[in-house]
Amino acid sequence: MRAILRRLAFYVLAAWSAVTLNFFLPRMLPGSALQAVLSSIRSAPITPDELHALEAEYGSGGKGLMSQYATYISNLLHGDLGTSTSKSVPVTQVLGADLPWTIGLIGTATVIAFVLGTFLGVIAGWRRGGLLDTLLPVATFFQAIPYYILAFLLLMTMGYLWQWFPLAGGYDITRDSTVEPGWNTGFIGSVADHGVLPVLTIVLASIAGWILGMRNVMITTMDEDYVLVAAAKGLPRWRVVWVAARNAILPSISSLALSVSLIVTGSIVTEIVFSYPGLGLAINNATLDADYPLMQGILLCVTFAVLAVNFLADIVYVILDPRARREA
Amino acid sequence: MADDALVSPDPANSEAPAGPVLEVRGLCVDYGLGAEAVRAVTDADLVLRRGEVLGIAGESGSGKSTLAYALTRLLRAPGVITGGDVVFHSRSAETGQVTEVDLLAADAHQLRRYRWSEIAVVFQSAMHALNPVARVENQLTDVLRVHRPEMSAEQRRARAVEMLRMVGINADRLRSYPHELSGGMRQRVMIAMALILQPQIVIMDEPTTALDVVTQREILEELMALRDKLGFAVIFITHDLSLLIELADSIAIMYAGRIVERARAAELFHAPRHPYSLGLLSSFPSLHGERVRMEGIPGSPPSLAAMPDGCKFHPRCPYAMDRCRTQEPPLTRPADEGGDRVTACWLQDGRQDPPEPLARVFPLLATPAAPRPGDLSRSTS
Amino acid sequence: MSVVGVATAEPAGTGARRRKSRITKSPKIVVGAAILAFFVFIAIFGPTLAPHSASWQASNSSAFAQPPSAKFWLGTDRQQHDILSQVLAGGRSTMVIAFVAGIVASVLSILFGVTAGYIGGLVDDVLSIIANIFLALPGLLILMVVMKPLPAGDTDNPILIGSVIALTAWAYGARVLRAQTLALRDQDYVESARIIGERRPRIIVSEILPNLLPILASSFIFTVIYGIGIYVVLSILGIINPAQASWGTMIQNAQGASAMISNDWWWYAPPALCVALLGIGLALLNFGIDEIVNPRVRSRKGSRRGVRFQLGLTPVVRADRSPNSDVPAPVMEGES
Repeated sequence: MRAILRRLAFYVLAAWSAVTLNFFLPRMLPGSALQAVLSSIRSAPITPDELHALEAEYGSGGKGLMSQYATYISNLLHGDLGTSTSKSVPVTQVLGADLPWTIGLIGTATVIAFVLGTFLGVIAGWRRGGLLDTLLPVATFFQAIPYYILAFLLLMTMGYLWQWFPLAGGYDITRDSTVEPGWNTGFIGSVADHGVLPVLTIVLASIAGWILGMRNVMITTMDEDYVLVAAAKGLPRWRVVWVAARNAILPSISSLALSVSLIVTGSIVTEIVFSYPGLGLAINNATLDADYPLMQGILLCVTFAVLAVNFLADIVYVILDPRARREA
Repeated sequence: MADDALVSPDPANSEAPAGPVLEVRGLCVDYGLGAEAVRAVTDADLVLRRGEVLGIAGESGSGKSTLAYALTRLLRAPGVITGGDVVFHSRSAETGQVTEVDLLAADAHQLRRYRWSEIAVVFQSAMHALNPVARVENQLTDVLRVHRPEMSAEQRRARAVEMLRMVGINADRLRSYPHELSGGMRQRVMIAMALILQPQIVIMDEPTTALDVVTQREILEELMALRDKLGFAVIFITHDLSLLIELADSIAIMYAGRIVERARAAELFHAPRHPYSLGLLSSFPSLHGERVRMEGIPGSPPSLAAMPDGCKFHPRCPYAMDRCRTQEPPLTRPADEGGDRVTACWLQDGRQDPPEPLARVFPLLATPAAPRPGDLSRSTS
Repeated sequence: MSVVGVATAEPAGTGARRRKSRITKSPKIVVGAAILAFFVFIAIFGPTLAPHSASWQASNSSAFAQPPSAKFWLGTDRQQHDILSQVLAGGRSTMVIAFVAGIVASVLSILFGVTAGYIGGLVDDVLSIIANIFLALPGLLILMVVMKPLPAGDTDNPILIGSVIALTAWAYGARVLRAQTLALRDQDYVESARIIGERRPRIIVSEILPNLLPILASSFIFTVIYGIGIYVVLSILGIINPAQASWGTMIQNAQGASAMISNDWWWYAPPALCVALLGIGLALLNFGIDEIVNPRVRSRKGSRRGVRFQLGLTPVVRADRSPNSDVPAPVMEGES
């Protein structure tokens, strides 16, 4: 238990760092961000209230830096992330609408990539030199291509050229759509239909890492005596593989947390390419509109989510590896 | 090696030996295939009798571990068995009927049937041989699940507890993980694990090398007590010949992948026939007696890829003859001797008198004046 | 990304010669290095080799992108810029920035990782926490937020951009280096250096660093791949707007002009392919290095002459002739 508490303390610290970083960044950049914000939203009329709010936010609107920070933190703890300048609604509202889509996308893709990837990795490690070894360069090929290009490729081939899947959106919002959001088969079907290409992009780009990682650890693990003991015991083959895999998966779980960061990066890009209505698309638009409150809000939200996933992975690791339960 | 009383011949050994439980004839093992293959074991002949302890001793790289793992086809890649026979004489516990099983020709399914239930292995390092993420109970009962499917969960658990008690471990350790146990306890768990199906043969690969001397002693004594009680045969592999002199009934000495001498333990200790055995025996200091000059064996074992011609030991042998450099001696009975001890040395072929240290007569009656270990080294100078 | 499992290493120098021959024999490394060399060549000489300047326009009147022809090998874009010239010129900024990112990240990861691993204790705890925080934060998002407000002039500065990108990428390398340093620290030759009385920095530089080279190389390449990807994305998203054309801005322009819909494939395909190819080359290099460092992991032919090696089932191959006869055999461990 102490191990988990230590990790929790770390995550709280990391979250606080992110929050603080978020606060100080715009205020520390050369040429105050206020100017940048003002210059880019010149097109939209600003009410004096909004101007004051912006000044208070980014400029030296009368109060000292530390009290600004205090206000910022207290607002945060009350769930107030400010107001989006481009949409004129509370940031939290935008987050609430977009977050589920992103979680759905990343969650589905990561689960598929992880499960399929480690499974293939186990087989590749067990049967050296088999069919699977020829697949490895192919998988690496997909991993080396930047997310954008890969998403793009899939969009052009399966979406545009062959018309297997729709080109944009989270569900059918075209003019003649009959789909209504809600728990009905039409909606769910449409979501699934629109989700295939984005999920496929992320899976293809990340699966090579899982396969290779698992394969390499499997190979090292199979050299351990206890795997030979399992064979010497006359256990059926699947059980011997299981003994090895059960041990080999531990490093993969550690690296799961690591790669969540990378996958988040990739999914942002993917959402942009497919116009998928998640946080990635939102932050892209926010960036184009120089909507700083929204940008920062999304950054915080994503960071917290990544930290949460990391923490979860740590818990799973402690559950799976009895050696980690020792007081460190 | 210090206590003379331990090396006096055991009267029980001079009775008619039991039937064979494992026969090895001409076993050859390579590493690798084709032109780049390296021969690790050449023409190994062994007989393990029912209930007997057969020790295999040799330096690192002599091929003893390779041989032991090859016996049950547990040798890792790129090991390949390239010749010989390994026949397991399986005796049914109920009917007493003996079936001959060709282990080299068996397929995976057959091997799995005999593995652990008839032939078990105790590995060198218990820390590495126990699954770090599985509880002790699980590691004991998984073989019961596979080999004794008729047992219920409670019965399995009860049997696991029984085995732990037999090796002196408390039943509450069932729920422990390997890293929570001490080194000696882990080794005991390994032994309990190996004996849980009451196999006919237990192969032990340096089972106590990783332990301190005191624990080593304890565990070996427990092991031998269990052996007396349960009656299984043991193949005991070690580099420590002094252990075997005490524990084993028969000893085989390996050098450069070949068995160079095989004899009853007492015979070997008192009257070795191969210069290498003589050298090994002279390497142990005695705890009693006067100070003597220690003789090692000069030189080092040949690399598997660059074997000398003729007898593989001749470059290091103090008695090497011309013949030894060109012709490899076969493993046969020394000239003018009865019994079934064998050795691979031209000195024993009857054409000449072997040097005095290699020609001692070992009395078959009980308790002669056993020579002090110091005698050996003095007479070879 | 690969799991490096090498815990023991030789004192610097002994394995080097053996490794060199394996380096030149591995097809992955050769192909990867060739691709990399090709692109480095383009980065250096591209603009001079290009038939036109990247900003040169064929004419001011036409608004249609011209397909590839004898005059323009890769066609033109809507503004009549020669695509080939743009591609040749566009590699430079991408590669420079990615390499700067790689170097800065490597330096940072050595500073943090090796120090934390070697010194241990409180220093280790503090440095590790910092590294873990950086590791957990999503890089692209931070970069988006940080770089957006930057004035246009700054985005031209490759050192600045590269360094900022490096700030999000160094933590992974630091973690790996720390783990390896921890393993190396207890090796005998390091211990003996310590006993002799060699000063700490000297031990780190002369004993530990050489054995970290393969991992350093691997994480450097990984960072460069990451840097390329990030830079291209940032260009495409319009966050970075360098004056010259880079591959990323080419794609951005193409996207902005809806080149996909009008099927002007020659506009967006070449830069996209260049990025992809460069990434593949680097990944091959990485894969190859990994195989050399961790030989067990090499792809090996599972069955030679019909003999399959399986755990717990030692094969029995009865030879009719002695093993020293002249039986022609396939290569032992195939480098596939």
